[in-house]
Amino acid sequence: MISEKLKKVILSELELDDFPMEDNMTASEVPNWDSLNHINIILAIEKEFRVKFKGAEILKVKNIGELQGLVDSKMAS
Amino acid sequence: MFNSIDIDKLLNLFVFDPHDPLLFSTSFFLFFFFGLLIFYRLFANNKNLRIFTIIVFSLFFYYKAAGAYFVILIFSTFLNFYAGKIIGKIEVGNYKRQLVLVITLLVNLGLLGYFKYTNFFLQIYNDLSSGNIQPLDIFLPIGISFYTFKALSYVIDIYLETFEPIKSVRDFSLFMFFFPNLLIGPIDRAANFIPQIDEDKGITKEIIGKGLFLIMFGLLKKTLIADYISLNFVDRVFDSPLRFTGFENLMAVYGYAIQLYCDFSGYTDMALGIAMLLGFNLMDNFNWPYKATSIADFWRRWHISMSSWLLDYLFRPLQMTFRNMRMFGNALALMITFVAIGLWHGASWMFLFFGALHGFYVVVSILTKNIKKKFFKAVKLENTKLLIVIQIIITFHLAVFSFLFFRSPDFTTATSILTQIFTSFHSEVISQFVEGYSYIIFLMVFVMVLHYCPEGWRSKVENLISKTPLVGQAILLALVVWIAIQAKSADLQPFLYFKF
Repeated sequence: MISEKLKKVILSELELDDFPMEDNMTASEVPNWDSLNHINIILAIEKEFRVKFKGAEILKVKNIGELQGLVDSKMAS
Repeated sequence: MFNSIDIDKLLNLFVFDPHDPLLFSTSFFLFFFFGLLIFYRLFANNKNLRIFTIIVFSLFFYYKAAGAYFVILIFSTFLNFYAGKIIGKIEVGNYKRQLVLVITLLVNLGLLGYFKYTNFFLQIYNDLSSGNIQPLDIFLPIGISFYTFKALSYVIDIYLETFEPIKSVRDFSLFMFFFPNLLIGPIDRAANFIPQIDEDKGITKEIIGKGLFLIMFGLLKKTLIADYISLNFVDRVFDSPLRFTGFENLMAVYGYAIQLYCDFSGYTDMALGIAMLLGFNLMDNFNWPYKATSIADFWRRWHISMSSWLLDYLFRPLQMTFRNMRMFGNALALMITFVAIGLWHGASWMFLFFGALHGFYVVVSILTKNIKKKFFKAVKLENTKLLIVIQIIITFHLAVFSFLFFRSPDFTTATSILTQIFTSFHSEVISQFVEGYSYIIFLMVFVMVLHYCPEGWRSKVENLISKTPLVGQAILLALVVWIAIQAKSADLQPFLYFKF
């Protein structure tokens, strides 16, 4: 399940009020989330959660659930 | 009666001829393919025989196009299959994994670079140092850009752990050799293609109908539209623009945009249809590109398999690397990606400029995003249909302008065309032009109307053909092939994307 905090960061970067997000949803299914502003979302997550992703880690992420998983694993380490 | 000359002629059809690859639009290919299809369908239950048939035919198909260079394709297949296997075995985090990936990338790109770019670099060296190194006589193995990219996506996906290495070298060979997309794409991904080998889905009447529809539609787009416009109009103007008025030059630039789309998407349709009849769904390459509302949108609709490849394997990693530079990082990653798109098409300044121009378009577009938004709001255009129409018209013209450089052999030709358009337009020739070139104008308008007609209309025609009884479909196909043969001029125009 996507946490409220992560959802909030994503929604604010995409300038959306609300949008239902499921774990198996991909970026292209969320309005405004395209390849160009993808990086802004990643930067905002890094800032908000005070984590640093490696390039390959982000490239592997296929959907929102995996993004949440990556954030969780970074927070734990 | 068979005499020796006839047999020689017949045998020659099976031998490599650099000027006569097995184009999908040739009657020899079509008859041969439908013969193969009957054989293939008769043994539909025997998976091994089915795969073996496609592999053998594909190798023959590639030999017809590249001669002895088909060993490069085989080498590339084995190299990438074993590279994938080795990367899959090394545990994540071990530096050897990265090392094998880097070596594999270097060998793949080294081969591509040698065959495709050596003479371009020699030319640059000569230009910079006033040297005089003679260009080397290097044969460009057809399709090398396409199958190298196909193979690389497999290896990189394994490295990123988004795809498991496959066990069977036979299945990987089928993915690499598969003749429908071997020479001109679509650049399919292993993750899309390989799982289909084991899926034993029956070929329904619907699939046959859809496959035949795509083959017929593609054949007509290529022979009736693209070849006709190019031979009878576009080529003449681009060969000597100064002999034509500005208006004719302008129409030729529009004409080329239509020709290129029909040529390439026509070929893709045929590739998709042929693959479908063999039981495979390939990735689509076009989605009505002239309906795009921005250049970024255009690249999501034009040569999708290549643009998405570069998006995934070049743009995204670059974007991550430059992410601390924020917007400028994005802009830099975009410029590099688009220059790569340009150079992917061939080693020339014109292609490089074409790519850089698209990079420039997209960078300007993202840097002015907020200003544009405020402006549209101020003039009350935001979320209106009128804005969409304006955006489509602007995007279409930006694309057409870039294709002027894509088509021109050098900058002199491109500037001559622009000079003619802006300094000797001669609008008085319009009525004469309409009269003399009415069929060409009809074709151009027809293609644009097809773009903008409601989706439902197109699928209705498709459904109608899919549901026609098989005999009706066969008659229709024979008719289309006959029309295509009739329409063919003495010299068959090669598919434009061959060169890449």
